[in-house]
Amino acid sequence: MIITPEIFLSISVLILLLIGPFIKKKGHTIIGYMSLILLVLSQFFIFKNTFQFKEILNGFFVIDSFGSFMKCLVLIGSSIIVFMFISINKDENLNKIEFPILIILSVIGMMFMVSANDILSLFLSMELQSLALYILVSFSRNEINSSEAGVKYFVIGSISTCIFLFGASLIYGFFGSTNFLDISRILSQTKDIPLFLIIGVVFVLVSLSLKLSAAPFHMWTPDVYQGSPTLITALLSVVPKVAAFAVVIRFLVSPFGEINVDWGKIIIILSITSMLVGSFAALFQSDLKRLFAYSTINHVGFMLMGLVPGTEDGIIAISIYLILYLIMNLGVFLVILNLRIDGINVSSIKDLSGYFSSSPFMAVCMAVFVFSMAGIPPLSGFLGKLIILNVAIDNNLFYLAVIGVLTSVVAAFYYLRIVKLMFFDSPKEELDKDVNFETKVLLSTLAILNVTILFYPKFFLDLSASITFSLFAIN
Amino acid sequence: MFSIPIIPIILIIPIIGIFFVLFSVDVKNFSTAKMSALWTSIINFLISLYIPINFDKNVPHFQFVNSFSWFNNDNLKFAVGVDGISLPFVILSTFLIPLCIYFMWDSKKKKIKLYLSSFLLIETFLIGAFCAIDLFSFYIFFESILIPMYLIVGVWGGTRRIYSAYKFFLYTLLGSVLMLIAIIFLYQEFGTTEIPKILNFSLPFYIQIWLWLAFFSSFAVKIPMWPFHTWLPDAHVEAPTEGSVILAAILLKLGGYGFIRFNLSILPDASIFFTPFIFFLSVVAVIYTSFIALVQKDMKKLIAYSSVAHMGFVTIGIFSANVQGIHGAILQMISHGLISAALFFSIGSIYNRYNTKDIGFFGGLINIMPKFAVFFLIFSLGSIGFPGSSGFIGEFLTLLAVFSKNTLVACLASLGIILAAAYMLKLYKKVFLGEINNNILSIKDDLKTNEILVFTLLGALIILIGIKPNLLLNFSTTSIERIVTLYPISIF
Repeated sequence: MIITPEIFLSISVLILLLIGPFIKKKGHTIIGYMSLILLVLSQFFIFKNTFQFKEILNGFFVIDSFGSFMKCLVLIGSSIIVFMFISINKDENLNKIEFPILIILSVIGMMFMVSANDILSLFLSMELQSLALYILVSFSRNEINSSEAGVKYFVIGSISTCIFLFGASLIYGFFGSTNFLDISRILSQTKDIPLFLIIGVVFVLVSLSLKLSAAPFHMWTPDVYQGSPTLITALLSVVPKVAAFAVVIRFLVSPFGEINVDWGKIIIILSITSMLVGSFAALFQSDLKRLFAYSTINHVGFMLMGLVPGTEDGIIAISIYLILYLIMNLGVFLVILNLRIDGINVSSIKDLSGYFSSSPFMAVCMAVFVFSMAGIPPLSGFLGKLIILNVAIDNNLFYLAVIGVLTSVVAAFYYLRIVKLMFFDSPKEELDKDVNFETKVLLSTLAILNVTILFYPKFFLDLSASITFSLFAIN
Repeated sequence: MFSIPIIPIILIIPIIGIFFVLFSVDVKNFSTAKMSALWTSIINFLISLYIPINFDKNVPHFQFVNSFSWFNNDNLKFAVGVDGISLPFVILSTFLIPLCIYFMWDSKKKKIKLYLSSFLLIETFLIGAFCAIDLFSFYIFFESILIPMYLIVGVWGGTRRIYSAYKFFLYTLLGSVLMLIAIIFLYQEFGTTEIPKILNFSLPFYIQIWLWLAFFSSFAVKIPMWPFHTWLPDAHVEAPTEGSVILAAILLKLGGYGFIRFNLSILPDASIFFTPFIFFLSVVAVIYTSFIALVQKDMKKLIAYSSVAHMGFVTIGIFSANVQGIHGAILQMISHGLISAALFFSIGSIYNRYNTKDIGFFGGLINIMPKFAVFFLIFSLGSIGFPGSSGFIGEFLTLLAVFSKNTLVACLASLGIILAAAYMLKLYKKVFLGEINNNILSIKDDLKTNEILVFTLLGALIILIGIKPNLLLNFSTTSIERIVTLYPISIF
């Protein structure tokens, strides 16, 4: 059996769904633990068949090291989220057995997405992923914000679907096939690329940028981030982004690697606008979740910079940045999850004032994550920036690199604002001090990773170098 | 010769000290935390003395080199080492940090553990930045200093601390990100970032110009040169005493060090092209900021502006690009490191007693604090550049060097010495001499033991270097000669 992790997860999540209603007490915790175990187990299934390249199911899916790596990231991210759900969540609205099950369903979707080798399978798996996420976003259904976010996300997601299908039909019209390898083969023999094919690629790219929340297709991001439950915001900001990046990379590099010059320009525009929007629009946000939504957009813009040349180095840089981004962002949201006043979650940026006096450990961890996001050495965020800039300059994209660093200075301003509130200001309302042991362990692990990775980046560099070659080997 | 990895050791010791500080258990006034911080820094100073003792003065290259593999290719390494140019700054850093910690012995600061940790962290980063012989390692340490310094200004500063902290951070970051791009470009171009190797390459002129500007944007903000100096007075006035000392005495020197190490050594053609530009900015800095210092009402601001003026001499010296000039610049930087540290400590002493830095508040302080008045006179004369103090040697060498290159610049810059005398003596007269101001009668005590110790050490060094500058200059002669011989002959 070759497609084991996905099949394993699909079957076992159905079993979970069956036995869930029969557990009387604390059903959500037990199901949560079981889902966590499933996620970790499927990790091992991936390790079993990492370094090979295989088309399966008539070329519908492909198994390669790049996909396996991205699946690992997705699984790690989602297992941390499920772990948070079990041990840290205080929101009663979320304590239902469906919650972890839906997370696993969307994870299955993402895993299929990552390994899709055909426009049709890509479409189907993207839908599976999104449908589960629509429900999760509106999960605390008693709150008006959450429902609003759900509707918004659904509408935008549907539009994205339509655009995708339109683009896909144009592409199919030219090639007569939806298989990536076929497309790549035919494209390499074609001399003149017709305009409508480019338009088709652009449409698919627009749809994917809606998933990536790259500006100017970012409008839904702040609202959805703010409205959904914090746990889901944490999930949204990391895991689907990883999957979407994997898809964008695979879609552009594998079948359309030949027309790099054409899509490269679009990526440049996406990258520049994302960096500008992500840095300037975040300056005056008053809600932490909104602020980090814009910060996500900024990071996405920065990562897209590495995709422009479409070379192996660029993909390596993006994979490393994704790992670091996962570490930083999960840390930040772990802290936000623990911001409570009298047991109620708060997420206004003002609530952070004087956080250092009340709970120094959390504040120092948050400062580490935030400085890391700003890309200040010796924290690991700098490594990501460094590698991406290296790629940009290697390919003579100086103006892109300069815009990147200048916007990162602007972005530093709002990251500094968080540090200022925590360290310089005196406390206004006392935040709850009780932080459980699991949080502390998880937080300190993430913080230590953030401090040390820059001094030992070899592991990640070797890892990403070894995974990306499969993308280029087939061409 | 078998050698112990001395530089990694002095880089690690402060980090270990931080753990002692953080996990020290204290009931009342955190004496254990202070004690561990103080001993860490003193031990680090003593260990760092190993470097000058075993330093071979006849070797122009880097010594005590240690390099560690970093990225997965062999071209990027963490490499540290010292040569004659960086050695004085390393010792200056390790020397001043214990003084800072000892000076605040009695202060009742809030969050004292974080404060002490920040200083130890800064020590590591400073030593790292001065010792790095790889561009990326240099950049990492250079930039890292922003985090602890931001906290020091922001948490323990004065009333406008938040504005100043932001300004400091963003100004410096904006300057240095462009340097990052230049460094990456150099890496792409040469395939290596080790400074000794890069010195063997040369670049076309038009590329040098851009790279030079990128490096300049970083160091001109750091040193700071007019008109990029506006963050400095704000940061100085608002920072706590020890923060100002670190800022003025060592952080500014990173700019000058960077100019010598990168702009002058790696990009000599562009340096020649931009020399008139640098001279212009420096002369303006020397004269203009001296005039501004003349009318300041706040003591710290006065010293801050005088720092900008003194740094003007440094840049003039560096870009004269001959042995005397660079000698003068290094000596001026070290001497300014000692003198400005001493002056900021003095103002800290005054501020601890009277809670004000306003010059108009004082008068006739010599009657109440006679010992302090003596020390302050020594420091003021040093700042003026009085013969016998270290300040004189630095300014004299600089002017000597630039006189052979550009007489006009030398004449204009020497105005700065006269103006320095004007503002420092005015400060001394208003604060210490004259009628006793009734404001100051409330407090009667002269200097405490820890203050006397700190001032004696600094004063003794200022005079010692003033009398026997060769103690310092001998270390750097060969390294400077190497830079100068590689430097093309200027047409200006």
